[in-house]
Amino acid sequence: MIDKTRPAPIGRVVATELKPATPHQFHFWTAVETSIGIGAIVKVEEGPERVVYGVVTDGFAYSDLQTPLHDVVGAEGDPVRAAESPTVRQEIRLWTAAVLRQVPEEPLQPVPLARVFVATDADVAQALRMDAYLTGAQPTGIPVGLYTSGGLEAPVYLDADFLLGPEAAHLNLSGVSGLATKTSAVEFLLGSIFQHFPRHKGKVAAVCFNVKGPDLCFLDQPGELGDEDRRRYERLGIAPRPFERVRYFAPFKGDGVNLNTLRTHPELVGDVQPLVWGLAEVLDFAEVLLNRDDIDAKADAFIDFLADRVLNRDFDDPLAGRHRVQTFADLDRLFRSIFDALETSGRSDMWRTHHIATIRKVRNRLSNVSTRCKGLVTDDGPSSDLPWGAFEDRSVYVVDIANVDPLGQDLVFARVVSRLREGLERRELGVDAVVVFVDELNKYAPADGPETYVKKMLLDISERGRYLGLVLFGAEQFRSQVHRRVVGNAGSQIYGRMDMDELATPAYQVLSPATKIKLATLPVGELMVRHPHFTQPIFVRFPRPPVLRGRDGVERFAPAADLPFADAVARQLMRLDRTVRPNTVRDLVEGRDEQDVRRALAETRRRRPDDVLAYFRKVLGSRVAPDAARERAAVPPLGAITDEPY
Amino acid sequence: MARAWIEALLAAGVTPATFVPDASLGRFDQEPVERAAADVMEDAELATHAVPEAAPAVAVAFLDGIQQWRVVGYDGVVPIVRAYVAAAVRRRGADRRLRTAFEDSREFAVAPLAALGREQRAALEAHMDVVDLPDLPPSQPGPVLEAARRAVDGARQTLERALAERALRALGEREWLIVDGLLSVSGKLAAHPRALGVIKSFGTQFFEGDALRRALTLPHGHRSSVFRARGGHARNDVYSWYLRLWPWEGNDLLFGLLRIEARAAAETLAAAGAVSAWLLRERAPVSTPDARWDRLLYPIHEVETYLRSRAPRDFLPASGSRLPRTGT
Repeated sequence: MIDKTRPAPIGRVVATELKPATPHQFHFWTAVETSIGIGAIVKVEEGPERVVYGVVTDGFAYSDLQTPLHDVVGAEGDPVRAAESPTVRQEIRLWTAAVLRQVPEEPLQPVPLARVFVATDADVAQALRMDAYLTGAQPTGIPVGLYTSGGLEAPVYLDADFLLGPEAAHLNLSGVSGLATKTSAVEFLLGSIFQHFPRHKGKVAAVCFNVKGPDLCFLDQPGELGDEDRRRYERLGIAPRPFERVRYFAPFKGDGVNLNTLRTHPELVGDVQPLVWGLAEVLDFAEVLLNRDDIDAKADAFIDFLADRVLNRDFDDPLAGRHRVQTFADLDRLFRSIFDALETSGRSDMWRTHHIATIRKVRNRLSNVSTRCKGLVTDDGPSSDLPWGAFEDRSVYVVDIANVDPLGQDLVFARVVSRLREGLERRELGVDAVVVFVDELNKYAPADGPETYVKKMLLDISERGRYLGLVLFGAEQFRSQVHRRVVGNAGSQIYGRMDMDELATPAYQVLSPATKIKLATLPVGELMVRHPHFTQPIFVRFPRPPVLRGRDGVERFAPAADLPFADAVARQLMRLDRTVRPNTVRDLVEGRDEQDVRRALAETRRRRPDDVLAYFRKVLGSRVAPDAARERAAVPPLGAITDEPY
Repeated sequence: MARAWIEALLAAGVTPATFVPDASLGRFDQEPVERAAADVMEDAELATHAVPEAAPAVAVAFLDGIQQWRVVGYDGVVPIVRAYVAAAVRRRGADRRLRTAFEDSREFAVAPLAALGREQRAALEAHMDVVDLPDLPPSQPGPVLEAARRAVDGARQTLERALAERALRALGEREWLIVDGLLSVSGKLAAHPRALGVIKSFGTQFFEGDALRRALTLPHGHRSSVFRARGGHARNDVYSWYLRLWPWEGNDLLFGLLRIEARAAAETLAAAGAVSAWLLRERAPVSTPDARWDRLLYPIHEVETYLRSRAPRDFLPASGSRLPRTGT
């Protein structure tokens, strides 16, 4: 609803030879007591036909005092007397504003020396060019917060075409930790997107990587909101409710049965699906797992050989024998066969043109993966994965890798994003656009450091994702520490409270000193937003997200202690069938090899049979075959990191 | 409006000019040097009194005026002057800020009409309020400009007096009016119990000998005895005393020295100490960068600043020219 109440003038544009008004900047004075401040949007009116909108970027106060010494003289050196002077000096509040928009746009002229008004709702929409996408048959506005100044409050919208593509895309969030900048802002914005993403633009989902603590573990639980928050939600036209469709994925811990997440409270853990991958899933992303020194041409060639000629095939070798490699265990058997055969024959150090040292190196690295990422990568047995091809509209998929080894985090990140890209490219993901939220972006795409696969992939998303509907919402404490092409390609940027050292870096040179000070002291819930439609940064306030904060979540839903092996198995089976009795499961697994139990459990989970216990009993009696061999679709290679401008 | 009548003058054959005399940007702040008699009313002879330190805040309004003028053309060698005078009363509120209570201004032309050509005079009188300078013998421009200055000064005083009398009618019960200059020029002002004149110039000598020495060497924070000012150019009877705002030692004899005028009444004798005390508080803030800051009360300075900010801008010398100013 647009409030068309016309406010009284609050100031007047002034221009001097030293401080002239230009087409992009002007100065105006106000009464000493004024409601405006840095970030306020103002309107300059010269008759009805010429209007200039601006945002306050700096403010000055000074009196007619020529030198501080004169004040000392007047007070005879006594500060108390200075305060007691019967008349206060004349003083001024002078403001500098950057032009947001001129109406008409042409001819572009210096700002007229005219009256200044505080912007109304309608003015804010005009000033930020929001009228272009809030009106019309198919509006594409996504509420991002409330612009508040001088007692006025106006919703600010981002353009979905520029937030989620195809015109521009990606969002970057910067801010110090713990002040409701990054996680809270993303939770709020995702809720806003889900409620306001235009239906004509298709289906949208979000994949959030939870990389620290319980931040994203309770998105489906309602959080506490105050009256002010509810009022702001109402003003923004957003229903304050937690996400309705959230699916959680977390790898197992080392025991292979307890989930490696903080969402293990008995009431909630049932929603968490295990994330378990086998050799096939890992080998596609071997480049992620091997550090740069490892990826020499020889190792690369051997990995390719394994992937193309060995994996999921009946492989018959005169030296190593017949093998069908579908799991890490199978692969290790193949390696052992090769080494034994080479040792026995004593003929050569070469096997099929690959040197034994190369083979040993690859074997070491791959076995290292299954060790370091135990719980995520299974040596044997079927995998459990995200619902590729069946993503649902306005759903959040949380992948909890907070407690996973960094190598495993890289693997999860690389594989999930690559699969998303593939799915979107082939239009078979189930949705038309996916928002990928990655916190600690400076860790995955650092401004300097080695060229990792993950970094290349983030660059790829940043530069080409918008055409596919793959949208990166990246967050970091220090934007200057993130690769410039990743942040540079983010069409929209959000800044919370910033560190002064960070603000001193060249990336913030375009901001006025006053804006920097405001950024350094931003209160909780206030953000600075940059968006392609806005010619200047805009400060907005947003309500607390309507979901349970991670901190509160772990208090209300305290994580359960790890269960003994048999009990953990029973709990997982009970998730599939509530009639399963723990004692029965304990009796079944008693004395069985844990690896066999894990395999049987994974298979049962995958098949979801009608009679869970009977099926589990059945597969426990025999070796569970791994997943059926799938057609290997090579992941399109990523380009090398270059210094070419984005 | 100014452009219209100047253009009419030019059309009538007046030669354009842009001369801004030095004295035109401010008031002529020197009383004519003259001697006057004084009767000491407070003591047997002129004495010095320490001003008490503590002084309660009082409600005060301040009155000041400005004048600006410039030569806009010559009819032959006869200058035609455009003048502007303004005055304002600004009242100090509880927040210690001044707000305008009354203001008035007048723009007019000054010229010896008899010395102008027929067409030029007609053009001037048709478009503008004109103050005539009669009885001036034909001469170079200098004497005419001096006469013009006096005419403008008189117009400013008239405006100030009228405004002061309006302000007196609206003065609150406990409110004072401080006028920059002589109180004695107006009968109503001179008779009002809460009107004060603050005089910064010392063209009139009231005392001689030791009394003069005591008057002009008052220590900082002291006042003289109250005396009745007689003669000089006081048209109305007033009481007066000297007050030193700042130490003069190391500066100049008249540094920080004010002469105060108040109603000629016994109450003035009783109130002189208290009035001096709160006037002393008006030293701060200092009214720099004005060169008279030692004697110019800041609120008076502020009224002047206010008036200048509202005066027509084209009275000031053109800022675009970087050449030295010249003129008669």
